[in-house]
Amino acid sequence: MSLLEERYQKDPSIVAREIAGEVILVPIRQNVGDLESIYTLNETAARMWELLDGQRSLREIHGVIVDEFDVEAEEAQQDLLGFVAQLETIGAVKRV
Amino acid sequence: MDCPHIPELSYGEFGERLRARIAGQRIPLAGSLELTFRCNLRCVHCYVAHGHNGLPGQEELTCAEIYGILDHVVDEGCLWLLLTGGEPLLRPDFLDIYGYARRKGLLLTLFTNGTLITPRIADYLAEWRPFKVEITLYGRTQETYERVTGVPGSHARCMKGIELLLERGLPLKLKTMAMTLNRHELWDMKAYAESLGVNFRFDPLLNARLDGSSDPARFRLSPEEAVACDLEDPQRMDSWRQFCQRFVGMPPDPEHIYHCGAGVHTFHIGPHGELSACMIAREPHYDLRQGCFREGWREFIKEVRLQKRTRDVKCARCRLIALCGQCPGWAQLEHGDQETPVEYLCQVAHRRAEAFGLGSMTS
Repeated sequence: MSLLEERYQKDPSIVAREIAGEVILVPIRQNVGDLESIYTLNETAARMWELLDGQRSLREIHGVIVDEFDVEAEEAQQDLLGFVAQLETIGAVKRV
Repeated sequence: MDCPHIPELSYGEFGERLRARIAGQRIPLAGSLELTFRCNLRCVHCYVAHGHNGLPGQEELTCAEIYGILDHVVDEGCLWLLLTGGEPLLRPDFLDIYGYARRKGLLLTLFTNGTLITPRIADYLAEWRPFKVEITLYGRTQETYERVTGVPGSHARCMKGIELLLERGLPLKLKTMAMTLNRHELWDMKAYAESLGVNFRFDPLLNARLDGSSDPARFRLSPEEAVACDLEDPQRMDSWRQFCQRFVGMPPDPEHIYHCGAGVHTFHIGPHGELSACMIAREPHYDLRQGCFREGWREFIKEVRLQKRTRDVKCARCRLIALCGQCPGWAQLEHGDQETPVEYLCQVAHRRAEAFGLGSMTS
């Protein structure tokens, strides 16, 4: 199965906060991310984060991103897969 | 981590960048929440009065009320929150409140005397790691410590609390209020902290009690002694030098009574829901039981910040104002109004200026 068909859900041990217009991810529990650090998201990444709800597949999320942002389909796909891989690395999302 | 989407920053870097980005905007980025006035110690210098058992007839915020306030605080953009008291660990629901705040994505600092820390509390803090924990030492020796706290056995319990946190690698800092009773052990306390590998800081400026009593002032160091503490500490002198280069000599704001960050990026909430600009400047306050944080912050505290001087005081022309702790909160506590200068602070500032080679600004 293509990775694009996968669904991911957020781990409750990392919390997204919008502070002064910037979206950040705050690790709140031991063993998730680096508790001494904070992760900042750009506008596209913040929207991807919002869409990672365990229901939508990456293909569906990709469709939304291409619709909403001025970005080529291939570039958006690379960005999305790269972003999800990084989120998995810090324990922010899990494959459903 | 190297990812174009999720740059990883230390909290220090993030904080600096954020503050630069929001300069000029009022956002309640950092606040303090006093969970109780109650305390298990009886410190001679404490700024809380009320017989250490809370005000009669005034109930502390309930857990549910605090959850509601935290929801609003987070919605308004708070990231750093200090949980303090009194002794916050006296609340049986402390861990519930702490956990709720952490799950909301707040970066929590805990101020505690350390004497009530148990393995269970330390384990919980290790799992839901705080931004930092600060424990106040009152002396290095049991004799001095308990002379300040008035409670036999408190020194040993504090040492145990420190041990429990360090065993779990928690981000601990130690500090003290330097006063006549413990001045002789100030550097022993610092050496002890350094032997544990943790930072140490001290504050020699004891403010008056919240009920206006000047009792704590009996234990104040003289202005000369307060400045001597600065001069004896090379690290502190370095910090002062850097501070002076950046801020001292700037013309004061002659129009407004506030000249700090209180109410711009910071706020304070008392144990009964009193929202104020800061922990010292508690009046006027907004009652969070009668309204919501959003309204209190956006309307009430904004007006507090905009208060203008009603009379001419020497601070309005003083170029040492950045070096001085003079503020509406201290004035309120010491004199019952927000503008009358606190002579003790003035003396400390002038002696510091002389000691730091800023004598030309003191006239």
